[in-house]
Amino acid sequence: MSTPALSVRELVVTLLGGPQPATVVDGIGFDLQAGEVLGLVGESGCGKTKTAEALMGLLPPELAETRAARMLLGEMDLATLPERALRRIRGRDISMVFQEPLTALDPVFQAGDSLTSVFRRHRGMNRRQARQAALEMLARVGFADPQGVLRSYPHELSGGMRQRVLVAMAMACHPQVLIADEPTTALDVTTQAQVLAQLTALAAAAGTAILLITHDLGIVAQYCDRALVMRRGRIVEDAPVERLFTQPSHPYTVELLAAARSGAA
Amino acid sequence: MPRVMRTVWQALLLILGVTFVSFLLMVWFGPDQTYTLIGKNASAEQIAELRHELGYDRPFLARYADFLVDLSTLDLGASNSSGERVSRLLARSTPITLALMLPGFLLGNLLGVALGLAAAQRRGQWTDRLISGLSVVGMSISFLVIIIALQVLLSTPYGLNLFPVRGWQVSDLPSYLLYVTVPTIALLLVTLGYNTRFYRAVFVEEIGKDHIRTAQAFGTAPAVILWKHVLKNSLVPIITRVLFSIPLVVISGSLLIETYFGVPGIGKVTFEAITNGDQPVLKAVVALTAVAFVLIQLAADILYRLVDPRLA
Amino acid sequence: MAADQTLWKRLRSDPSGVAGLVIVALFLLLALGVWFGIIGQDWAAAAGGRWEPAGPRFWFGTNVLGQDIFERSVYSVRTAFEIGLVVAILSTLLGAILGALAGWYAHGWVDGTVLWLKGVLDSIPFYLFVAAVAYALQGEAWAMHLAMIATFWTGTGRLVRAEVMKIRTREFILSARSIGLPDALILVRHVLPNTLHILLVQGSLTFIAAIKTEVILSFLGLGIQHGVSWGLMLAESTQEVLAGQFNNFLAASLMLFALLMGFNLLADALQDALDPRQVAR
Repeated sequence: MSTPALSVRELVVTLLGGPQPATVVDGIGFDLQAGEVLGLVGESGCGKTKTAEALMGLLPPELAETRAARMLLGEMDLATLPERALRRIRGRDISMVFQEPLTALDPVFQAGDSLTSVFRRHRGMNRRQARQAALEMLARVGFADPQGVLRSYPHELSGGMRQRVLVAMAMACHPQVLIADEPTTALDVTTQAQVLAQLTALAAAAGTAILLITHDLGIVAQYCDRALVMRRGRIVEDAPVERLFTQPSHPYTVELLAAARSGAA
Repeated sequence: MPRVMRTVWQALLLILGVTFVSFLLMVWFGPDQTYTLIGKNASAEQIAELRHELGYDRPFLARYADFLVDLSTLDLGASNSSGERVSRLLARSTPITLALMLPGFLLGNLLGVALGLAAAQRRGQWTDRLISGLSVVGMSISFLVIIIALQVLLSTPYGLNLFPVRGWQVSDLPSYLLYVTVPTIALLLVTLGYNTRFYRAVFVEEIGKDHIRTAQAFGTAPAVILWKHVLKNSLVPIITRVLFSIPLVVISGSLLIETYFGVPGIGKVTFEAITNGDQPVLKAVVALTAVAFVLIQLAADILYRLVDPRLA
Repeated sequence: MAADQTLWKRLRSDPSGVAGLVIVALFLLLALGVWFGIIGQDWAAAAGGRWEPAGPRFWFGTNVLGQDIFERSVYSVRTAFEIGLVVAILSTLLGAILGALAGWYAHGWVDGTVLWLKGVLDSIPFYLFVAAVAYALQGEAWAMHLAMIATFWTGTGRLVRAEVMKIRTREFILSARSIGLPDALILVRHVLPNTLHILLVQGSLTFIAAIKTEVILSFLGLGIQHGVSWGLMLAESTQEVLAGQFNNFLAASLMLFALLMGFNLLADALQDALDPRQVAR
């Protein structure tokens, strides 16, 4: 077995904001193999997003305490790297696509600015090179008019279009790991399919492993190789997708599957 | 273009309202200047004649209509108290008020933004607590207390005795600095607490937004996030605050500072006009205020459009 | 009621809020003491010589007329509370009513009128307005209060209007209306109580603004007509400090600062405790 793209052991996240500290991620662990699509399923509030944010190092110390026995991105130890080093790998070696595309892009800058800045920062390109790379990337996520999108402001683009721009940004540097946190929940069904198809295709071509966070079992069935089931901060099941659906071992998984089936019916 | 028309209509209504209320208070209810102007032993005839001249004997609506006509034709007349032409009076005192109030006003906002930014970025840490604490202290000190204390500390032998106690003998840069420093510091100290508190809240809210998280997720340096993303997105509330605090800070503040420091600016002129019932001057000041307010609204609209592509 | 208990609990856990509450309570006790004639009654008598230093007889010394500065400072607490409470309560009430009406009939003519009124009052520079009102109502003791109420209500009004516009669409309101309850009843019994958190905070802020305004108005000669206030004391002290006499100034400004600080801390704590979103500080 080669080195996993992402290896996590005993990750604990404690929120410090309220009257009492609250542990939202309670010692989870998993491996994400290179090129794999790993689903992370659970109901809202189970700690999925906090896990993602912890892995990206996006939780400020006043807000939350993050501890882990192991948090390795390939060979790099995310837990011990200083902030400056972490900034270099964010967006380059590990990147993230968030749930709410409508608010994820800076409204006062053109969509192209957000995209080209990734190329300039992480690939050292100058303005012209970055622009060219951005146009190519936009074409690859399926835009018919990359020029137009580059020049558009976020509010001139639909939710689906914005999400595709964000996917372009996330894949711009062919990262080893892409964390997609409910990337299509806020979109309509047709757009969902489009975005997910593009995302997985791009990742497969680049060899990027995906941690696909979702509450939608249909998406898990269609796109994931393996899946983790998360409940109240703990991982209760970790299995290849086929086995998950045909022979679930944890009662909670059974509940989820039943709820999904009745909902779909 | 119904939207432009609606804005114009609302501006007109506003001006009408402002002039009406001002007229009501300052002209209709204002002091009767007849007796101060005419002296003690005037005959009933002379009194009646003067009253007629000053327009005191006409009915309310007629006087208000006259008022509006005078305003729109900029027929400002001459001061009842001093005889000086009102337009000259305004031209003389407005620049003084601006020279007096602008430095403190601008500094108060610049520093407020800087401190608010520093506090918001280090939210919850000791820098933030210190700045927020000092803001509350600043908000709890009366303007008058600050002015008196500064005067004692800077302008009297009991303190540093570096600056003049009052007055405005300004002819060049050194004398300008001499007379404007104490009022500027006073204005700065008074507004800084409120400004910092406000701007901190604006920046805290902006920092919490999703697109900032996106910028962080792509490895943007904190300084770049602050200057490029947070500030630019906060320009709308900042512009709103700066522009719409002009009436309160510059106009009302000038009344107090000029009266205290004996500076012959618009605030002092207005206050004296109110207490003397000097109607021509009051009419002019009302006109100036209403115009200033409309200009502020216009400036705000234009600036918003420039700064936020969603509003263009 | 459960809501009150959580409010109390949250307030108690905020040390600066508790400090503010204690300070305000102490000052309130002083004010009551003056009201009931227990303390601060000898503020007018020229009991001593000019500018006597602080000592056992006159704790803060005397002013230029030989009046007891300590007595005057204590009496001023009562003045401050009188002005503060009257203006705070009435302007908050006015703001609540007009704001609720505007929000309830949003985008209608009632709303338009209230907004226009707000715009007019907000665009007239405050001290000009107050000076003009005070002068128009020459010598009336309540001219100053009236002027303040007429301008301070707009802040509360704006916030209440926004809140009412949100509440208006909530389910329990919709069901009340469908039963056919008259608007006035719904507004008073169901809508306004849900704006209480806004009103409490705004009330405290208005109290602060009122006291600060009185200080400046008294300096300009447009302030209170009877009794003494810190504003009047400060106005007196402007000449005194030039002669090196600081007692009057220090007494008035320190007590004023203490009360304002206390109220500011309290207002902040109230704001945090009443915030329905309970955002981490």
